[in-house]
Amino acid sequence: MFGKSLAAAIAFWGLSVAANAAAGDLRAIEPAEWNRAKAAHLLERAGFGGTPAEIDVFAALTPREAVRRLVYFEGAASTADLPAFDESGVFDEGLEAFPPSRPATTDLAKARGEALGVKVKPDGNRRMQPVVNKFFYWLRASRLETHRVAYWWANRMLASPRPLEEKMALFWHGHFATSEEKVRDYRKMLQQLQLFQREGLGDFRTLLVAVAQDPAMLAFLDAGVNVKGAPNENFAREIMELFSMGVGNYTEHDIREAARAFTGWDFEGLRFVVYDDKHDDGSKTVLGATGRFDGVDVIDVILRQPVTAEFIAGKLYRFFVQDELDPALRRELGRVLRDNDYQLKPFLETLFLSREFYADAATGSRIRGPVELLVSTYRKLGLTEVPGAPDFNEVTATLGQRLFFPPTVAGWAQDRSWITPGLLLERGNFALDLLLPDIEFIPEDRYPVYPTGAEIRAVHERIRAGKDMTTATTPVDKDGGMEMMAQSSRNADRDEEFNTRYASYRGWQMAIERVKPIPRAAARLDLTNMVLTAGCRTAADAVTYLEKRFLVVSLDPEVRERLAGFLAEELGTADLEAARTYAEDGLRLLLHLILSRPEYQLG
Amino acid sequence: MHDRLLERRRLLKSALAGVGTTTFAPLLAPSIFSTIAQAAAAPRDDRILVVLELSGGNDGLNTVVPYADDHYYRHRPTIGLRPDQVRRIDDHYGFNPGMTGFEKLWKDGRLAIVHGCGYDNPSFSHFTSMAYWHTAAPNSGDDYGWFGRVADTMAPQAQPNYLVNVDTAQSLAVKSRVHTPVVFDDPDKFRRNALLQERSILDAEDRAAATAGNRRFLEDVARSARESSELVRTAWDSYRTPVDYGINPLGLNKVAACIAAGLPTRLYYTAYRNNAFDTHVQQNDLHRRLLTYTSDAVLGFLRDMERLGQADRVTVMAFSEFGRRVPENTSLGTDHGTANVMFFAGRHVRGGHYGKAPDLGALDAGDNFVHTTDFRRVYATAIDGWLKLDAAPRILKGNHEPFPVFG
Repeated sequence: MFGKSLAAAIAFWGLSVAANAAAGDLRAIEPAEWNRAKAAHLLERAGFGGTPAEIDVFAALTPREAVRRLVYFEGAASTADLPAFDESGVFDEGLEAFPPSRPATTDLAKARGEALGVKVKPDGNRRMQPVVNKFFYWLRASRLETHRVAYWWANRMLASPRPLEEKMALFWHGHFATSEEKVRDYRKMLQQLQLFQREGLGDFRTLLVAVAQDPAMLAFLDAGVNVKGAPNENFAREIMELFSMGVGNYTEHDIREAARAFTGWDFEGLRFVVYDDKHDDGSKTVLGATGRFDGVDVIDVILRQPVTAEFIAGKLYRFFVQDELDPALRRELGRVLRDNDYQLKPFLETLFLSREFYADAATGSRIRGPVELLVSTYRKLGLTEVPGAPDFNEVTATLGQRLFFPPTVAGWAQDRSWITPGLLLERGNFALDLLLPDIEFIPEDRYPVYPTGAEIRAVHERIRAGKDMTTATTPVDKDGGMEMMAQSSRNADRDEEFNTRYASYRGWQMAIERVKPIPRAAARLDLTNMVLTAGCRTAADAVTYLEKRFLVVSLDPEVRERLAGFLAEELGTADLEAARTYAEDGLRLLLHLILSRPEYQLG
Repeated sequence: MHDRLLERRRLLKSALAGVGTTTFAPLLAPSIFSTIAQAAAAPRDDRILVVLELSGGNDGLNTVVPYADDHYYRHRPTIGLRPDQVRRIDDHYGFNPGMTGFEKLWKDGRLAIVHGCGYDNPSFSHFTSMAYWHTAAPNSGDDYGWFGRVADTMAPQAQPNYLVNVDTAQSLAVKSRVHTPVVFDDPDKFRRNALLQERSILDAEDRAAATAGNRRFLEDVARSARESSELVRTAWDSYRTPVDYGINPLGLNKVAACIAAGLPTRLYYTAYRNNAFDTHVQQNDLHRRLLTYTSDAVLGFLRDMERLGQADRVTVMAFSEFGRRVPENTSLGTDHGTANVMFFAGRHVRGGHYGKAPDLGALDAGDNFVHTTDFRRVYATAIDGWLKLDAAPRILKGNHEPFPVFG
């Protein structure tokens, strides 16, 4: 602290090195330092990037006004006009509580004569087929509806007048990573997202308690099996390790004790419940505190640990500012969050106003995540709706970030983890698909594509050709005979009570019928109008304009020159006005080249 | 998985790629095809190491089952695999019933099991423990991965395509001081889609605009992408195999394609991804399936190497970031544990048991195994025993005695 005050004092005396000494400096920047570049940086990080018009508006405010517009929505339009999620209506009574697996479903059906709201046939072959069909229907329907929820969210990121709300929801989705892969209920995923949108900028304690009682999270971390006398550590471990304190700040004993406090926590449908008979009401000792704790008490014990505020503040810093974080600054950020009683808005106001946030090292240095890449590209193009082609979910998944399907409970690793040689090429390929639509595009929510889709299509064709179910569902042949066939390919489908391959196919059909389709419009662009309206006259002007509009760092002059040469050659002239009637294709290729640059990944 | 007959979309793309290759052949041919030709002519003792990561903490105890040990059944009254269920490999151990592939490798004497692998003060966090394994630096860490350090030792000057990581994101294990690892998931997509007139600009070797930081990192990755994408994709496009790798080839078929095409790569890293082995609840059916896929894929890969005449060059090493708690939990699953089995598979592997199995009757206070083999001994076995680098102490920053798995 003392060293920090000293540094602050030196800066205060107006030494000329103040700008460089800003590392770790959380004091607010001066209004005189505010400019268009800083406004653009703020919109990039605290939102999903700005159009030139938006940047102009923010540049005309004071830095505090600009930050408060994003953080406190002062002067920002309401989100009331944004459409609510348009439900397809795929859920049926009886699907609750959805069993954890197909075998669990058929066991249930065998024991009770019905499952998932469907009765077992009294007699005949494949008596449980309708039950198993229904099982696969819901798997497919919930997944497809989750993709629609992702589209709805992406459109909010693109269009919301309060972009930080959505950016924070994205942060929390990665922090409290929960996957539809295991939850298997889009309703719970949507409900959790809405929690992040509602509380994501509020009070961290409220959020943490709500997440710990959130049905999607409870389902994801197997809360239901955490019962008195037999505590399951998964939930308590992740709450401490990933959600609040970070590894190394608690013992295995703390986890076991905390797990006891969370016993009996469960959900029914979309509601949190506590089963008193399964709750261990005895005394526990967690992190040095002792009492007859329940889960909320344990969360309060956790929140009293200084390391908790540091962990959360540090993670926010690494998300919004840069991946490298000095330990002293981490402690200082933790203190700011704690002094604000875990209120996120004042913390973020401090962060977004700080010299640290605008320091050279912190600007144009962060690698955009896939979701940010797509949304900010659409924003900078001036689109008002997320295109249906290319598919938002497929592209982001290819790039490593499918919303509602984080790879593990730790969420997505950030920054350099987003980039591999393969993924860098894919980012450029996305730009090409956006600028020159891929006429081969096949929407995966309708058409079963490779690899699992091949089996389903094979079943489809053979069933329609009148084959019996067993023949129709035989796996596509492998070479080499049984001896060379892998065990998994040989595990013949059990075909007495039901046929899973048929059920998978039938479930697919039922889902297509009920899940609303995602509109598949391609982006409508007019780059010619964009550059001419901006006053560009030459090919070099167009390069400079697009560079400024899309990139946050400057190109090497040699590259810029090469790009201008490329455009002039494509147009047959360097005069844009002369080429106006046909300039679009050349401009699109130019933009493709710019968006394929390594520099475009920086935000 | 490599069945293209029904894949309309893939066929379409392949057809187009075919046209493209023909059209662009004069432009691209010299660099790519000469590289392949050179690599194919490389000496046969260029040994290849393939690391297979089983993420999530594989339950080693239900993988290599000590069915003759009463303690096992006492700790696992419901999820323990009965003696008549396991695939017996001797009078003490049997494989999980799903593992026909490993059973075959064992019978052929091509599978080594190393028991009790772990480290002091084990972490029960997937992410922390995995980082320890990735860096071979338990309870501390390292800026570079152990596999990356192996690459740096084998080739101290940067060489394109030396180190391949089949995954959607780069593993810490392959992070190298010298090399930029080639990381790809779908070789079909490891391609720059662009029009002919754009190519010269996209392929241009820019001068570095930055000396450090993320901008420099991106420039390095862009260079690696230029150097490897055509090579890998050509390898994949020309790869056809009659060998069945099972439901989930775990990227090993992609490794096979690269080897078949004669890439200069000596080190391959692939994974069963996404914490798949994290079996806290109702584990038996799931775990059996995971092991079936794993052993199918490894057997398929080695069969494919035989077919390609490359079996003398290749060894597979498999590991997981930890084993699981010895006693089952109350959800018919297991929680995070400690020591675990590791595997070597390949023609040059001397099949059998290595290391001492931890004592099921002497667990630690947390009901976990006390490890008997520092996992770095197994890495040392790969480094000095298989790759013959004589550099394990330097790479692993300490002396770890190799096992005599390789002649």
